[in-house]
Amino acid sequence: MTATDSSHLEPDMHDSVTAPPQHGSAVGDGMGPSAPRTESAPATAALPIAKEGAPDSGPGDAEDKPRATRVAEGAWLGGVCTGLARHLGWPLMVVRIAFVALATFQFIGVIAYGALWLLLPPGSTEKAPGLESASRAGLRDQSKPKRRIDWGMLLALIALGVGLLWIMQNTGLGISSQLFWPVAFACAGAALVWRQADSEQQKRWRAEAGGRAWLAPFVARGGWPALVRVIVGLGLVGAAFGIVIAQQGQISHLPEVMAMTMLALTGLAIVLAPWLHRSRSALNQARAEKVRADARADMAAHLHDSVLQTLAMIQRQAEDPKAVQQLARRQERELRNWLYDDELHEATLKAALTAAAAEVEDERGVPVELVTVGDCDTSDPIQALVRAAREAMVNAAKHSGADKIDVYAEVDEDSVEVFVRDRGNGFDADAVAEDRMGVKGSIIDRMARHGGTATIRSAPGDGTEVRLEIKR
Amino acid sequence: MNETSEQLGALETANQPSSQSANAERRPYSVVIVDDHAMFRTGVKAEIGRSVAVVGEAADADRAVAVVLRTQPDVVLLDVHLPGGGGVEVIRKVHEKNPEQKFLALSVSDAAEDVIGVIRAGARGYVTKSISGSELIDAIRRVAEGDAVFSPRLAGFVLDAFSGSIDLATVDEDLDRLSQREREVLRLIARGYAYKEVAKELFISIKTVETHVSSVLRKLQLSNRHQLTRWATDRRLV
Repeated sequence: MTATDSSHLEPDMHDSVTAPPQHGSAVGDGMGPSAPRTESAPATAALPIAKEGAPDSGPGDAEDKPRATRVAEGAWLGGVCTGLARHLGWPLMVVRIAFVALATFQFIGVIAYGALWLLLPPGSTEKAPGLESASRAGLRDQSKPKRRIDWGMLLALIALGVGLLWIMQNTGLGISSQLFWPVAFACAGAALVWRQADSEQQKRWRAEAGGRAWLAPFVARGGWPALVRVIVGLGLVGAAFGIVIAQQGQISHLPEVMAMTMLALTGLAIVLAPWLHRSRSALNQARAEKVRADARADMAAHLHDSVLQTLAMIQRQAEDPKAVQQLARRQERELRNWLYDDELHEATLKAALTAAAAEVEDERGVPVELVTVGDCDTSDPIQALVRAAREAMVNAAKHSGADKIDVYAEVDEDSVEVFVRDRGNGFDADAVAEDRMGVKGSIIDRMARHGGTATIRSAPGDGTEVRLEIKR
Repeated sequence: MNETSEQLGALETANQPSSQSANAERRPYSVVIVDDHAMFRTGVKAEIGRSVAVVGEAADADRAVAVVLRTQPDVVLLDVHLPGGGGVEVIRKVHEKNPEQKFLALSVSDAAEDVIGVIRAGARGYVTKSISGSELIDAIRRVAEGDAVFSPRLAGFVLDAFSGSIDLATVDEDLDRLSQREREVLRLIARGYAYKEVAKELFISIKTVETHVSSVLRKLQLSNRHQLTRWATDRRLV
C-alpha cells in the first residue's frame, strides 16, 4: 500500500473548491440518477433495470414477488404492464393483451391503465451505497444515453389504437357517437394535465429549477412544453364541455359557456395550485428525509462494525507492520465490496472463488487479483475446482515470492477454466519430487478425480501458471 | 513492484529499440491530474513527477475542462467520480472542443457501470487507484502514444460484455463482435499478462497486441448495442 492508496479511504478529504453535495431531489425515492424515466417510448436505448425481479425470472420464484411498480425497462407507455407482469409472474405479452382486450369494453383497459400509471410507484433501482452516494453528490455522470424513439413502433401503436377505436365505434360496441368526442377530448385533456403529476417528471423539474424553489412551479416544470401541455389539456377539457353543451342544442350559448368554463377552470387552478404544490413538496421532503436518515443509520452501523474495529486493531498491533498491512488490506477489500459491488449471496463459482482469494490474502498477505467472466452454480466438480484453485493460490503465495497473484476464471457453456498466475521465482516442473503432496495431490489428482485437468507451466525465474479445467 | 517495472522497462526496449536513446532526451509527457481529493493529487504527483511533467491540476469538472483545454496535455489522468457530473462530463465537454485529447481514467471504483461508462465516453484506458507508480507511468506513456490501456479487470468486463450470452439476432455488425484473436489477447490480459507477455505467448509483435487492444477499445466505444450498458447494470442479476 502506498501513501496515495489510503487517500481515497478518507471520507472527507475534499479540498475547499469541492462543491458541497447537492442533496437534490434524487434522494426523494431513493433513486439513483439513472432512475428509469417512465414515459419511455419503445425503450431502444439502455435503461437500467429495477433490481428486484430479473426480467427473465420466470414464475418459478414466485415466493418473493417484487412489489408492483412501474418499470421503465422495455416499457411501451408507462411501464405499467411490465411492472404488473413482474409482480404477477405472468408473461408480459399476456398482460399487455389483457389490457388491450379490456380496452374494447367501454375503455375499461384504458382507464385501468391510466389509474395504475398514476397509482403505482416507479420502480427503484438499488445500487451499491458508494455509487449511490457518488451519484447524489453529482460525482457521477447523470445523463443517460440518448433514447432513440422508435417511430415505426410508435406509429404502429397509434395505428392499432385508432383502428381499435374505429372498429368499436363502427360495431356499436363503443360509446354512442354523441358522447364519443367529448369523452375523447376530456380524456386526452385530463391525461395531459395529469401527466404533470408524474413524480419522475417533477424530480427533473426540481433539479432544473436549481435553488429558486419558489419559481419551480412556474419556471422549472419542464419549461414551455409543460406549460403548453397544461394549456392544451385544459383547452381540451373545455372543448369537451363545449361539445356537450352544443349537443344539447343550445349552440347559441356556446361562446358564453366556453368562456365560463375557461374562467372557472383557470380560477380553480389559481386557487389550488399553491396548496397542491406545498402539500406535494412537503410530502416529498418528508420522504427524502426518511431515506436520508435511513442511509445515514446504515452507514453509521457499517462504519462501526467494520472500519472502527479495524482501526482499533491496527492501533493495538502498531508495532507489527505485516499485521497492520494485512488488516488494512482486508478492510479495504471489505469496504470496496460494500461500496462498489454487491455482496455475493448465492453459492456460485464467483462467490466461492472470491471467498477463497480473500482467505489466501488474509492468511498470506499477498494480494490476489480476481477476474471472472461469466458465472455458474456450484456443484461437486466446481467445488473441487475451487479447492484446487485455492491450493494453487496458497502455493503461489507461499513459494513464489511474487507480490501479486492473478486469478482468472471463465465460464463457458460446457466447461469452466481457472488460471492462477504469479510472476515469482518459478520452478523446474520436471524436477519436482514425486512426494511433493501440494501440487500433485491437492491439485492434479483432485482435478483428475472429478474428470478435470490441471496443467502447470513454470520455469525458473519466469513465474508459474496453473490452468485448471473441468466440465460443468 | 520491482519486477513489474523491470518488465515494463524491457517492454519499452523491445517496443522501440531504435528510438530508445531519443526517448531519453525527448521531453517528458505532459499530464493534467483531475481528482477531487487533494491528497491523492499530491500523492500521484510525487510518484510520477520525476518521469512526466504535471502541467495542471483540477478538482471539479468545470475547472478540469478549462485547465485541459488551456494546457492541452498529452494525457489527462481523470477520476471517474468528480463533482460537477463526473469524469464522463469532462470528457464530453473537452472532446466537443478538442476531440484529440487523450484521457486515462483512474478510479477507486471497480463498478462495471463506471468502467464501461467512462470508456464509452472516450477514455483510452482505465486503471484503479491501487496501481503502482511505475505501472501508472507506463500506462500514461501508452495512452500518450495512442494505444489503449486495459487492466485485467477491464479485459474481463469486456469479455463478459461481448460474450455469447447476448442475443445473436441483434449482432449484425462487425463492431458487435470480437475477433478470435482479439478475444485471445483479452483473455491473456485478464489472466494478468503484460502486453509483452501476451505477444510472446501468441507469437506476435507487441505492436500487433497494441493494435488488437486499440481495436477492441474502438468497438467498445462505437458499438451501439445497448446491451453493453444494460449488461453493466444487470450483470449482478446473474
